[in-house]
Amino acid sequence: MAGTSEPTDAGLTSEHDVGSRRDFLTILTVAAGAVGIAATVWPFIDALAPNADRNAVAHPVIDVAGIQENTGITVMWAGQPIYIRRLTKQQIADSQNVVPDSLPDPASYSERTKPGYGDIVVVVGLNTAAPCLLLGNEPSEPRGPLDGWISACDGSVYDPLGRVRRGPASRNLAIPPFTFLDKAQIQLG
Amino acid sequence: MRRLLLTALLASPLLASFVPAQAETTLSPPHFPSQSLLGGYDLATVQRGFLVYQTVCASCHSLNALHYRDLEAIGFTAEQAGGIAALANEKPTSLEDRFKSPHVTSSAFSGATPPDLSNLAAERPNGPLYIYHLLTGYAATPAGTTLLPGHFYDSGFPGGQIAMPPPLKGHDVAYADGVTTSLPQEAADVSTFLAWAADPNLDARRQVGVRAVLFLIFLCLLALATKRRIWSETV
Amino acid sequence: MDIEAQKAWSDRGWPDLAVWRARAETPSLAREQPYLDTLPALITGTLLVLAASGLVLAVYYNPWAPYASVQFIKREVNSGWLIQSFHQSGTTMLFGAVYLLLFRGILLRLYKGSGEFVWLGTVALASVLLLTGWLGYMLSGGAVAGASLRQATLSAETWPGLPGLLASWFFGGPHGPGTLARLAVLHAVLGVAVFALVLLLRTARKAMLPAPGAHPVTFHPYYTAQYFVAFTIFALIFALFAFFAPHFGDNPLNAAPANPLIMPINPTPPWFLAPLSAIRVVLPGDAGGVIAVLAMLGLLFALPWLDRSSAPAHRSGFLYRLLVVVLALDVIALGFAAACRPSVTAVILQIVFALWYFFHFLVLTPLVTALEAK
Repeated sequence: MAGTSEPTDAGLTSEHDVGSRRDFLTILTVAAGAVGIAATVWPFIDALAPNADRNAVAHPVIDVAGIQENTGITVMWAGQPIYIRRLTKQQIADSQNVVPDSLPDPASYSERTKPGYGDIVVVVGLNTAAPCLLLGNEPSEPRGPLDGWISACDGSVYDPLGRVRRGPASRNLAIPPFTFLDKAQIQLG
Repeated sequence: MRRLLLTALLASPLLASFVPAQAETTLSPPHFPSQSLLGGYDLATVQRGFLVYQTVCASCHSLNALHYRDLEAIGFTAEQAGGIAALANEKPTSLEDRFKSPHVTSSAFSGATPPDLSNLAAERPNGPLYIYHLLTGYAATPAGTTLLPGHFYDSGFPGGQIAMPPPLKGHDVAYADGVTTSLPQEAADVSTFLAWAADPNLDARRQVGVRAVLFLIFLCLLALATKRRIWSETV
Repeated sequence: MDIEAQKAWSDRGWPDLAVWRARAETPSLAREQPYLDTLPALITGTLLVLAASGLVLAVYYNPWAPYASVQFIKREVNSGWLIQSFHQSGTTMLFGAVYLLLFRGILLRLYKGSGEFVWLGTVALASVLLLTGWLGYMLSGGAVAGASLRQATLSAETWPGLPGLLASWFFGGPHGPGTLARLAVLHAVLGVAVFALVLLLRTARKAMLPAPGAHPVTFHPYYTAQYFVAFTIFALIFALFAFFAPHFGDNPLNAAPANPLIMPINPTPPWFLAPLSAIRVVLPGDAGGVIAVLAMLGLLFALPWLDRSSAPAHRSGFLYRLLVVVLALDVIALGFAAACRPSVTAVILQIVFALWYFFHFLVLTPLVTALEAK
């Protein structure tokens, strides 16, 4: 309301004539009202945020203590199969002996495992070339020449750390975000 | 491991609160603070009530709306809640699972399937008091009343005849905080637990509510003062 | 760009702005307008809160598992219990305000003269809101709501002719898994369509404004301040309901899941539907019940013509005002009678109160207003 052409009725007073007390009061009231509205709006926004249920689905806790050496389990997460395998000492030694630069997608042993939990490998079980499932996690499935995984459709070969060794695929298996809560539990996401 | 967890379960009321044991042998009338305007849940009582539910009621009544992680809201830690889940279930259970549902057929109780207890306290006016009277109302059948087959006389149940056999006899559980496990005490405790189960957000609601109402009263007075001042400028 | 240039730019792009600014800066409103004139604005504000909370509820509501989804909202969703409480208490506040608006309109005879259009629009608004409220109640998936819905859908299947066709079309057949899905959509659509009615009434209400008088004032800051006070008091009452009496007027049996094998002992609807539920006893059968409710609302529509006095609004005799107060008490008594345990006394009382309602509009109103006009 700028003072362009204010009607000069006897009963009207411009806001600027008034003492500062009313301005302070008005400002305080409007500010308090704004705080009230913000406090009312907050639950609406919070309600649309992920809740405990969704968080549980988004960050599941997997028990890995039961995985035997040289066996793996499959867990579905974020629409993808996650392969978790426990390596044998021989497999760990063999992986560490490989020169990373000689691989199609160079990666060292320490890049593929978490420090302190070096015998657990967690990868996304999807071939990085032609899209199909990897074989090798179930006991009955072939594992390929390196005792890791093998792709059923294009024959790409992966080692137990999930690094690609042979075949049309040129990238290592993806590693999902995860943390070790303790020796027995992994939390994905 | 199981024994450790059981002890932990029983000891947790002691850990949860320092309220000294109130030897309430008489509870007439029983007091449910959550039913008053500004009262809340006494967590020690809710924990005792949960123990009664888990020991006595859970064999027939489900509590489907609750997850084991909800137990963290009544003073259990995540480990204790996990231990309770492991104790109650044969197959591996996580905190995200719902309370175990007992598989009871209606033929076991003359056609009356034991109802789910999650919202029972909300389904009756003065729910906790209703549950208390139901549990303590079992008595000898008065003269002149013929009981239906398979039913028991209960003065707290509408119609007086209930298909549930008297679940509490007194001393069905052992409270770690030393409160006497008389039948009225157990009934009052489990009623408070079921009140919490039906409305776990009551404490939060009243807490936010007090602040909101006080703020709004303050805002009302401010708004009124501003309005009066604005209007006083006009003749 | 200085403020004048900004104004010129926006006025050129959207000419309505210039019109509104001119109207806002010209003192055109009478002084001393009562606080109750803010009721329509309060109703609009409540509808906005209901729409917002309804939107959040709709994100999580599942019409194919209604009870479970409501439990999910109350227990798992962050602040879900608060949103649900806002929606339920908002409904209480809405109908409290709407009933107050209707009562005030009948008491002060605001349906006379230029207020006739607004009155018809207000009754239409109340009717649509009552239907929306009933649909929302059905969505709760509780035992009492389920019984009410089953009764409605089953009786709709038995009606002959055109009413049967319409009712069957509305519900999409007898009660089944898909019924709540379509009622949920209807509830949301009606809840949003109501805003169109509100806008219509906003412009129509300008015809009812009193003459500015000798010293008119602008809306801002004078009536802005008054509306702020009204909103704050309304919000205070709303907060008292939402936080300390969230189940006001609700039947506790509705907290149990719907079960077609169990009929609730006392199937009372929520408080704002209680008078409508009670008036159904006047005519027999389910169809009779619907006709009675339609007649109850229809009489409100017909009020400008039932009133035989030509005196303008705000003028009424003592006897008329007394009778209107008795009518209000009668409607409240109707609601309480519906909430009682079904018994012979309760039904007799319902019939008595319902007949008085019809008697008031069909006999007393024309007589008394004609008498007082002399």
